[in-house]
Amino acid sequence: MMTPHLNRIYLGAAIVFAIIYLFPLYWMYVTALKSGSEIFAYPPTFIPKDPQWGVFSHVWEVRGMGRFIWNSLVIATGTMILVAGLGTGCSYVLARYRNIWIDVALFLVLMLQVLPASLMITPLFVGFSAVGLLDYPRFAVILAVTAKAMPFFVILVRATFMAVPAELEEAALVDGNSRVGAFVSVVLPLARNGVLVSAILIFMQAFGEFVYSKSIIQDVNLQPASVGLNAFMGPNTVEWNNIMAYATIYVTPILAAFVLLQQRIVAGLTSGALK
Amino acid sequence: MTQELQIELNGVDKHYGAFHALKDIQLAIPKGAFVALVGPSGCGKSTLLRSIAGLETISGGEMKITDEVVNNVPPRHRDVAMVFQSYALYPHMTVIDNLTYSLRLKKTPKAEARKIAEEVAATIGLENLLDRFPRELSGGQRQRVAMGRAIVRRPKVFLFDEPLSNLDASLRVHMRKEIRALHDRLGATSVYVTHDQIEAMTMADHVVVMRAGVIEQQGAPLELYDRPASQFVAGFIGSPAMNFVDGVTNADGTAVTLEIDGAPELKLPRQVACNQKVTVGLRPEHLSISAAGQGTITTKISVIESTGSTTYVGAGDTGKITIVLSERRDISVGDTIDLSINAKDIHLFDPHSQMAI
Repeated sequence: MMTPHLNRIYLGAAIVFAIIYLFPLYWMYVTALKSGSEIFAYPPTFIPKDPQWGVFSHVWEVRGMGRFIWNSLVIATGTMILVAGLGTGCSYVLARYRNIWIDVALFLVLMLQVLPASLMITPLFVGFSAVGLLDYPRFAVILAVTAKAMPFFVILVRATFMAVPAELEEAALVDGNSRVGAFVSVVLPLARNGVLVSAILIFMQAFGEFVYSKSIIQDVNLQPASVGLNAFMGPNTVEWNNIMAYATIYVTPILAAFVLLQQRIVAGLTSGALK
Repeated sequence: MTQELQIELNGVDKHYGAFHALKDIQLAIPKGAFVALVGPSGCGKSTLLRSIAGLETISGGEMKITDEVVNNVPPRHRDVAMVFQSYALYPHMTVIDNLTYSLRLKKTPKAEARKIAEEVAATIGLENLLDRFPRELSGGQRQRVAMGRAIVRRPKVFLFDEPLSNLDASLRVHMRKEIRALHDRLGATSVYVTHDQIEAMTMADHVVVMRAGVIEQQGAPLELYDRPASQFVAGFIGSPAMNFVDGVTNADGTAVTLEIDGAPELKLPRQVACNQKVTVGLRPEHLSISAAGQGTITTKISVIESTGSTTYVGAGDTGKITIVLSERRDISVGDTIDLSINAKDIHLFDPHSQMAI
């Protein structure tokens, strides 16, 4: 049994760690609102004296953020659709069959996850260039990110499918359905939560993707917000408030979505779809 | 019951890699029969049922359903319905959608499907639950939905995979009768898998006892009880289990001497090989306690368990011999008693082959 005393110590420790972890986020928000001189003031102020609310629309206009965000959305949506489309069937097969080849396949899938994007980009770039994919740079990035994100999706969704009892599928087969029909009408609806949640996580991951986009997309008009943010920061940058405003506009929607959905996300990943 | 066959298995084999799950199964199931497959876990009874359903592909032999070879026919074209142990209700569908699932697949018009499902629901007492989801039902109600889903289809064959094992004891006894009544009303052919020999004995016309992928014996329930072909069947059918005592037949083969304290001698109903080691099977319900000096086996009571209606008496040093008494007796642990048995109720088995003599 945990004593109330010990409980309080754990709670305190949790709060301290949460503060340390969330401090940069907080600092991003307050820096965005500070004026130029206040940013460099010492001692630093924790609450802006004169919040500059106009900074957001200013940055949006000046940096052409609409275009960047749109490109990020295109890449994230494309990746999510491609990963979910290709990965769902794959995860199902990996969940339903048990033999040595499945283990080999799973091992290879996990291996892919281990390779860092910065290592993969050179061969990918050369390969894409050879087949002419660089003429469609956003699509090329979608392909590259899909390959990178697929293992994560497959591992998560496979676990979801494993939670759907095989007997339900067998009941559907005996009731007169085909394998494909049983998958679509019985297994997929029951695994829906896990698939959706994993797809959302992939979307969030792709929305923040940087390495592939930076390397593959040369045309500024096609670059996503992550690359745009990077271009904003030069060696002599002093407009920290503008940069932080950009960052704020970039991450706040995704952060809000995550906070709103987090309960369902956690539930979707941990509990099976069945009760 | 007609002699027309509904299901016919000829030399059916099933391998899982190196594991031989079904060995040369011969089984003929007439139309309208209620057949129970019984045996301990891992004996292959569920594999056999799943093979009939088409969920497992058999590795050898021939399987026919109404004279059509179905070895490679997928489940949906076999016209069989199955009730699963876990019920396997579709959790994302309401009761009515569960019931009409197969009809919708057959493109039955919606209104007609609903009508059929409602009729079936009414016969099994589900009419007020049609819009509920499976998670909102009790175990017994789920069981009924699973049955209903099978009935709605009017299949050639009903397959039951331990459908009652998740219910509590009293409901199980009740559903036992209900399933049998349903079978009779629908005139269907049923194959019922269970590990509970009482279910098999009470429900089935024909009981198939399996062990390690082999059919040990099949026949009418009482035939298995009266004339078990092997020590395994003898021990499996009947509750509490048959007592087995080592013994040796005498010089002319008309009696057997038991190898327990006092070396009692039992008269045999017919003559067998003389001076042979045998295993003697005595059903607990066939043993009776006689007045001192009048029985054949003299022993001591070591355990008494009374359920009110019946009393289980364990006799011998470790309660080795079980006796079932249906009347109350004034006995207590430590008493010396005399047991007697009718010669016709004595079973003899070969200690090596374990087959009946």
